[in-house]
Amino acid sequence: MSKSQFTAIQTNSTARGFCLTSAFWMVIATLAGLTAATELIAPDISGNVSWLVFGRVRPIHVNLVLFGFVTPGLLAAAFYFLPRLLRTELYSEKLGIAAVALWNVAIAAGIIALAAGHSQGREYAELIWPVDVLLVITFALLFWNLIMTVRRRQEPILYVSVWYACAAVILTGVTYCLGNVVWKPDSGALVGIPDAILLWFYGHNIFGLLLTPLSIAVAYYVIPTAIRRPLYSHTLSLIGFWSLLVVYSHIGTHHLLQVPVPTWLKVVAIVDSIAMVIPVMVFLINIWYTAKGSLGEVHADIGAKFVFTGTIMYFVVSIQGSIMALPQVQRVTHFNNWVVGHAHVGVLGFAGMIALGGLYFILPRITGKPLYSRFLADLQYWFVFLGTIGFTTVLTIVGLIQGNAWLNGEMIYRVLPELQIYYIMRAAVGLTVFVSALIGLYNIVRTLYFNPGEAA
Amino acid sequence: MSLRMTPGAVVIGSLAILAAVVFVVVFWPYASTDYTPSEIYRARSSVEDGGRAIYIANGCVYCHSQSIRAFDWDLGSERIAQAGDYVADRPILLGSERTGVDLSQEGGEHPDDWHLAHFINPRYTRPNSIMPRFAFLGDDKIHLLTRYVQSLGLKQADHRMARQVYWKQEAIKAYEAGPVANVKWLAEHVPPGWRNLANPYPTTAAGLARGHKIYQEFCIGCHGPIGDGMGPAQPYIYPPPLNFTILQGREISGGILYYQIMNGITGTAMPYFKRELESQKIWEVGNYVAVYFINQSDAGAEPKGIPSAWEP
Ligand code: HEC
Ligand code: HEC
Ligand code: HEM
Repeated sequence: MSKSQFTAIQTNSTARGFCLTSAFWMVIATLAGLTAATELIAPDISGNVSWLVFGRVRPIHVNLVLFGFVTPGLLAAAFYFLPRLLRTELYSEKLGIAAVALWNVAIAAGIIALAAGHSQGREYAELIWPVDVLLVITFALLFWNLIMTVRRRQEPILYVSVWYACAAVILTGVTYCLGNVVWKPDSGALVGIPDAILLWFYGHNIFGLLLTPLSIAVAYYVIPTAIRRPLYSHTLSLIGFWSLLVVYSHIGTHHLLQVPVPTWLKVVAIVDSIAMVIPVMVFLINIWYTAKGSLGEVHADIGAKFVFTGTIMYFVVSIQGSIMALPQVQRVTHFNNWVVGHAHVGVLGFAGMIALGGLYFILPRITGKPLYSRFLADLQYWFVFLGTIGFTTVLTIVGLIQGNAWLNGEMIYRVLPELQIYYIMRAAVGLTVFVSALIGLYNIVRTLYFNPGEAA
Repeated sequence: MSLRMTPGAVVIGSLAILAAVVFVVVFWPYASTDYTPSEIYRARSSVEDGGRAIYIANGCVYCHSQSIRAFDWDLGSERIAQAGDYVADRPILLGSERTGVDLSQEGGEHPDDWHLAHFINPRYTRPNSIMPRFAFLGDDKIHLLTRYVQSLGLKQADHRMARQVYWKQEAIKAYEAGPVANVKWLAEHVPPGWRNLANPYPTTAAGLARGHKIYQEFCIGCHGPIGDGMGPAQPYIYPPPLNFTILQGREISGGILYYQIMNGITGTAMPYFKRELESQKIWEVGNYVAVYFINQSDAGAEPKGIPSAWEP
């Protein structure tokens, strides 16, 4: 059978399901973020409503961004490109749809629980045990679907995107269990310093073994496909893949440099945070050399444009991250909004932009029609792009004010009034990103269901 | 090329790497380090644990760290954190952001009534605060939460709490003996050198304006806009915030005001301000209180030594 025949019989229902999941939760996630940002300006706005209180809204925001918006967005693309790269059908669309449904049930339950005050209280591992179990089952279903598709492939060579997608899903299934201490259902935690070490091993690997490999997988698919050119180097793909797994996975302790954990562990984390330059640059050189001379084609495809911008953000966030792992730098940057700025470049600028790029890249190919509105997609691109720049600039300034003031012996309470104007700007930027999420949801729903466009 | 990737290589290979990593950076530190309790450690009571659960449920950890570093100055910085301080913490609540202050040593920083007013609305005791209101928790949960917060610092907290409880009784006794006795009691506990000290700097319009600003940002929630002690925190605090107008004609020197503001009055809700206000700011807010509310100021009075170089 030829490739085009396969395309014809693919229903892509799993990919569609993840598209909608991602677009929908992006709206709720950014709304939660906007609410939290507003509460830092006008704290009494939460009134006397328990579930609106900052300490509950913030984890809702973070979990929805990670597990509602970004991960499903990246998975949508993965479930689209995997069968194509393997020249076969997805093992089971039914299983895929079941996983999408379970995923949404888990996220909704987790969020309602957080709003009601049920939390494990550990960053990125807040979701309570029943939700953990649902999510782990979902990861297992996803992995089963992917690996069975791989086994049925007609294409003997496994393309690099396939490695990353499979590894991300199985490794996250495992680290999620470990990080949430699923064998301790009542607390989901260890005790004392070992709990901190485990937590940041896990938290760091939500970026390192989930968001980053999935984003890289999407970039490795979208960029060469959009410009119709082969990947620059197979060897670099290999080096990038294995070095990412080895280096990224073991440096979580750079979140704990100022905490009494064993010194050798800090040294390893610092040194290898610098070594992160290797997997990062190897991937970037590979993808940028592939795109070299074809930026016009990248720019012409809104999906590829998002993805390519995401790779630049990856460069920024990683270089910044390596610098932040230096103890002297962290004296200023730790515990304040600098880190929140870094998180937004990483999760919104890099993984989020690539997730959106994946969506916009596959949607026309799934529906066989152009996007409902290329203009709206472009608008969302600019809103997210400027949003990322805005967040980074504002939060970095706030972080420097806080960090330097504290280091000089000024009290947190005294510094609060100086921050307010920046918190206002930050909320304004947040409003932009929220509006972009609304635009995206509208555009994606119209593209999938009410698209008047001519079939291509 | 022999480097062809197979599904087995991807899955088994990456799981093997993960296993090795977990062994070295998670399991090995877990198994090899000796986490004996530190000298401040004691077990928490079940009430304190109940408060801790409320702390977790409401995400206090997103604004408050419990992790003091060698170069910290703010709250809690009297002790650098040690691994042995955390041996009963499941989960550990180090936090990753200090939108608010570190709470490692919060126990006994304030008496319970301060916390009650602060939880009802943080702006009552701290006008510039951006901490959320927790009135929705209701009395019982605020009580549990307060017990947990007052246990932070464990044995060191107990030591401070015992002091708070003792001086609370003394302050209540003095307050209930009437305004004259209370003012006398307050002044008695100021060291004599301070009591006899006049505010060495003269009153200036600029100084009063700065004092006014500081008063608004730090004091107004308790002592009230007109200094009568009827700020919004008043219903929750006992002895209630001092009504400054009763101080007139009672020989309240600039030194007494300075000392009380700097050092606070342990046992009462009156906090110390030596951490957030430098010397000039304390003199100026003290003089603002003296000029506007007590209607009597000794600022710049003789004998005062060689005038300071900046004096007008
Ligand atoms: C939005 C961030 C935020 C959240 C959430 C938050 N706080 Fe605060 N907290 C602050 C800020 C800012 C301050 C400093 C100003 C003040 O004293 O109100 C503070 C101060 C405090 C203080 C006073 C410290 C002192 O002695 O001056 C205590 C105690 C406290 N918080 C406890 C809590 C508890 C318990 C919770 C959860 C129920 C909580 N906070 C949630 C921001 C927050
Ligand atoms: C949380 C409430 C609270 C805040 C905030 C507060 N105070 Fe007080 N203050 C009190 C209480 C309570 C007393 C003692 C009442 C008693 O024992 O009768 C007191 C006593 C005093 C006294 C003692 C006077 C004397 O005769 O010894 C001075 C001076 C004073 N406050 C000044 C200030 C200033 C200046 C500020 C702001 C920088 C301030 N207070 C902020 C509650 C507060
Ligand atoms: C690849 C090189 C990177 C390095 C060396 C690095 C390093 C760091 C360090 C040292 C911190 C802790 C800062 C502190 O607490 O003081 C941090 C925090 C963070 N990083 Fe990175 N980073 C990198 C890339 C990324 C990427 C790609 C993402 C997103 C996909 C990301 C997301 C985050 C987030 C969300 C936090 C905040 C964690 C928290 O809640 O405290 N980072 N990073």
